[in-house]
Amino acid sequence: MNLMMEVLFFGFVVLTMTGALLAVRAKILMHGVLGLAVSLLGVAGLYLYLGSPFLTLMQVLIYVGAICVVLVFGIMVGYTPNEVAEKVPMGRNALLGLLASGSAAFFLMVMVLGRTHWVPAAHRVGDFSIEHVGESLLLTWCLAFEMISVVLLIAIVGAIILARGGREEGSQ
Amino acid sequence: MNMLIFLPELALMTMALVLFFASLASWDFKRLYGLTLAMSATAVVCAVASWGQEGTLFFGAYRVDAFSQLFKIFITMGLFVVLAMGEGLSGIEKRLQPEYFFFVTVSSTGLVFLTSAVELITIFISLEVSSFALYVVIPFRKAGAQHREQMEAGIKYVLFGALSSGISLFGMSYVFGLAHTTYLSELATVVPGLLTSSPMLIVGLVMMLAGFFFKLAMFPMHFWAPDVYQGAANETAGFVATIPKAAAVALLIRFISLAGGVDLGDFNWILAAFAVFSMVLGNLSALVQEDVKRLLAYSSIAHAGYVMVALLCVNLLGFSTAIYYIAGYMMMNLACFYVVYHVGQDGENVTLDNLAGLYKRSPLLALVLAVGAFGMAGIPPTVGFFGKFFVFTAAIQKSLYALVIITVINAGISAFYYLKLVRAAYSPVKNPGETLTLGKPASLLGVALMAAILLVGIFPQFFMEVAEKAVGTLM
Repeated sequence: MNLMMEVLFFGFVVLTMTGALLAVRAKILMHGVLGLAVSLLGVAGLYLYLGSPFLTLMQVLIYVGAICVVLVFGIMVGYTPNEVAEKVPMGRNALLGLLASGSAAFFLMVMVLGRTHWVPAAHRVGDFSIEHVGESLLLTWCLAFEMISVVLLIAIVGAIILARGGREEGSQ
Repeated sequence: MNMLIFLPELALMTMALVLFFASLASWDFKRLYGLTLAMSATAVVCAVASWGQEGTLFFGAYRVDAFSQLFKIFITMGLFVVLAMGEGLSGIEKRLQPEYFFFVTVSSTGLVFLTSAVELITIFISLEVSSFALYVVIPFRKAGAQHREQMEAGIKYVLFGALSSGISLFGMSYVFGLAHTTYLSELATVVPGLLTSSPMLIVGLVMMLAGFFFKLAMFPMHFWAPDVYQGAANETAGFVATIPKAAAVALLIRFISLAGGVDLGDFNWILAAFAVFSMVLGNLSALVQEDVKRLLAYSSIAHAGYVMVALLCVNLLGFSTAIYYIAGYMMMNLACFYVVYHVGQDGENVTLDNLAGLYKRSPLLALVLAVGAFGMAGIPPTVGFFGKFFVFTAAIQKSLYALVIITVINAGISAFYYLKLVRAAYSPVKNPGETLTLGKPASLLGVALMAAILLVGIFPQFFMEVAEKAVGTLM
């Protein structure tokens, strides 16, 4: 059972990482969105592993579902999705640099992790019911919750303003 | 509930709301500008009125004390000066001017929340509110003859901002994983122990601070500053260069004081290295700049290093010095951007050559620039001199001699390019160009900025006492 859980965990991690790499390295924009969807699905899996089916469901519904669909719409409405990004060849120096910094970071991280004692939380809440989530959002975390809506408002208004400007200049 | 506690936030939120609706109606610019200034002045009054309030709001996530209220006064005053300075908004696209006011106000609101937030998630989201609004404002610049460089600046700011908030959030997850809490008051009880036993906490803390280093334009997160300053409109750059930095310093003080005044251990070394790189890199790069805004950008990177030296003292004097220093930095930079805004009359960038003969074109602007530049170079009796003096005093008391020596050398290097600004403004030229006429309110603002730089420098005692009182609530 324990081994299976471990395998499941690393499976989800690999899924998240693959999706993220796909999203970054994709040459066609649409492939990037698909990579993002895969990555978000992996994150949903991690939530499931941590024992929160509600969060998993929300992640799949909102991120994998709604947001990725909106992105796909945006790309399809915006312009014909056949532009291919310029291929950026990875030179030998870049590869060596990546290898050097990556391995240095890895060994430092291993040393740091070896000296750190992770203490498990004293108690597990375990209550992931919708009532509990709703209560904590509107009581304990109400300030953060309200401020997220401000962030969304700014993002929406800002996007509209900047996009409108782009269109006007394009038509000139 | 005592209304005064939440008054500055309420004033700014009302201002944002009114401006939001005003941006929907097509108002006459003069009327809109008058209203904005009046509301901004009200916010300053509210912030001053709420000085001395104390309390905790929103289930412990929001703390109002002398420390937060002092920074709220800085932020609201800074907002007022930026708005008053950009009279006419000559650098901003005409149709976007109402939105400019709205976004700048929302960004300040986010920063005001940031100074009071004492819980990691609230801190992070306040930081995002202030950043998002600025991401939108950068490309508002009028498309002029030179360019579409404002778009490049906007993209760079968004990308670096997203990167730094990602790193910051990642660091917070490490801190949470080790400390099992997101409340600063609870972190303060566990951090001193964990700092010595778990090196992972240092990794987490440094990553978490990356978000604030970004706002402060400090060494590992400084890349954006020169390009964004150059690409953004002069008035926007004046905002980006000053107000977010005050909030960033507030947060750095809050986090570094978590260690409870004990030795920071290895954490100290990392921050000291950042401070040194920041100073050296900023000052050396500033030497060769031609564009005044780029020069100011590199100088702000260097100033972030000086502030970090003060923070590294981890005691009452160090923290209050950091507050005094950043307040002085805000005034001096606002003075310089005030000059840049008025010299670049159509919203264009100003180079050192454009400044030539400024004393003939407008004696007042040349004088304001001279006072601002002398201040940043650290020449008495300006606020910049006492800022540096207190930094050295605090660092010597904690026997950080190596840092003091490096800082002194850097202050010497920086004097060169600040004096270059003054020399450009006062060098006699055959054909100085047309005279720059300033309106009464604009002249008054220039005189007020100069007076502030000199008065806070001549009477530092009072201001240091206020800063010490503010820091006292944390220690």
